[in-house]
Amino acid sequence: MTEEAYHSLRINLGKCLGCVHCLTSCPTKAIRIKNGKARIINELCIDCGECIRFCPQDAIDSRTTSFLDVNAFQYKVAIPATVLYGQFHNATLPTEILFALRRVGFDYVYELSTINELNNAAIEKYLNDHLEPRPFISSTCPVVVRFIQRLFPSLCRFIVPIEPAREIAAKILRANLPRVLKISPTGIGIIHITPCPAKMVSINRPVSMEKSYLDGAISIRDIYKLIFQALQQNKEETIMSHLFPETIFSGIGMGTALSGGETRGLKNHRTVAVSGVQDTIRVLNQVELGLLKDIDLLECTVCPDGCVGGPLTVENRFLAKSRILRIINMIGERAVIDSSDINLLYHKDFLSFHHPVTPAQVPPLDTDPGQAIQKANRRNDLFKRLPGKNCGACGAPDCLSLADDVVRGTATLTDCPFMKEEKE
Amino acid sequence: MTEEIVFEQQFPVKGGDFSHAGQVSCKIKNLLLELGMGTEIVLRAAIVSYEAEMNVIMFAWQGNLELSVTPHRIRIVVNDSGPGIEDIDLAMKEGYSTATPEMRELGFGAGMGLPNIKKNADEFRIISEAGRGTRLEMTILTDGQRL
Repeated sequence: MTEEAYHSLRINLGKCLGCVHCLTSCPTKAIRIKNGKARIINELCIDCGECIRFCPQDAIDSRTTSFLDVNAFQYKVAIPATVLYGQFHNATLPTEILFALRRVGFDYVYELSTINELNNAAIEKYLNDHLEPRPFISSTCPVVVRFIQRLFPSLCRFIVPIEPAREIAAKILRANLPRVLKISPTGIGIIHITPCPAKMVSINRPVSMEKSYLDGAISIRDIYKLIFQALQQNKEETIMSHLFPETIFSGIGMGTALSGGETRGLKNHRTVAVSGVQDTIRVLNQVELGLLKDIDLLECTVCPDGCVGGPLTVENRFLAKSRILRIINMIGERAVIDSSDINLLYHKDFLSFHHPVTPAQVPPLDTDPGQAIQKANRRNDLFKRLPGKNCGACGAPDCLSLADDVVRGTATLTDCPFMKEEKE
Repeated sequence: MTEEIVFEQQFPVKGGDFSHAGQVSCKIKNLLLELGMGTEIVLRAAIVSYEAEMNVIMFAWQGNLELSVTPHRIRIVVNDSGPGIEDIDLAMKEGYSTATPEMRELGFGAGMGLPNIKKNADEFRIISEAGRGTRLEMTILTDGQRL
């Protein structure tokens, strides 16, 4: 897959006005305005979706799986992120939402909170078995993993090599459904319902396995209306569905939708949970310097307050969070997964990464060390000449980025409107 | 001998400025990554500059970190005006620190700073005059060889 093809974020050129909102919001400085339209530098983009939040024109699309692609499968399975349970009216129960998803057209809906609990228990086991390094960093947020690969390459070996719950769930389904249903494996489509664009990228180009067990992802934003409509219809049938609840939910696993959700289950370990892009960068810096060695597990999610703050959700994250906390209260925090099952899967390496995450360094100024040093000098000289207003008018997010682009040969100094004046 | 290609940059560090602790070393780290340095070298340089930066923040009034990079080595020199170090041999001992209880409460002052620099730098020299200030000179060889 080419660099461009695997990314999820796309600029809608028809809507983009070339304003500078997305430029400054991007944590990896991966956006430039060229010829009046925003462009994403694929090598730098980590698909966090921050730009989606800041674009006033709604001109940044996240390319997720289309309903057409889903419908091509003979048997369609949905694995919704537990974030989905917090997206609807207060009185809407998780069972109703799962039921509505089936009405939308999925043949089967697989509940993720129990697998979150399984993942949690596996991480606990891994921490007990491995005393070094510290702190381990959880792999759930695909953006954090990509951040580490690019900006904190020395931390790759700190990532807990346990697959996130959504992949484990899909793997379980892959192992069982073809046999049970007597349908060929290619006829079964397993789709994640996601709060963020990064999950799509982790399916398109996984970093710890050859091929994802998921076939695609649909955003909560895209499927919201259909679920909402399905919830309105056939209320009676829905009520019957909670009188005969067939699904077991896990209170421990439900919390994964929130920041601190993964660490909550780890009662015997010292944990830290961080959310938000800037805070995640700050803490990863500290980890790299060896300042968090007394912590066992670090959970980072780049969205504010965790996955409930995902850019592709519908409900505001505060309400969503409150609803999920209420659901956790309702079902309680007792374990629903048998510890012997966990042991068995853990020791069979069913839950582990296929291969370790490796660094993916950002392109250096030059591959030749001497040339790179000269370019860095030139960049500093150019930067001193620029006005330092960081206005974005040149199309780069700030003056240093423009100097960097000039040195790399993708921009000229006269792109800066202030430099033009100086010349005249 | 032909003149070697060198990149130089100065980073001022303010004594007592705990809220910006780690910023200089973070900039240096990103810079070295952009220069295409290997992961391990970058990490060692980041640790060395962080510890040196923290020494200024914790003990000195004002300091300056000077980074110079050639294709063969990274050199970090930190000059500060501050109380200086009375007994350098003692300061180099693991676990020895003159940090105040307040600093320790913030999680600093474990007495590992200078030993940590020594561990991660290929060459390390420390010159200090009590009452005047301290100068740290660190070199990391980037050819992959350690002294």
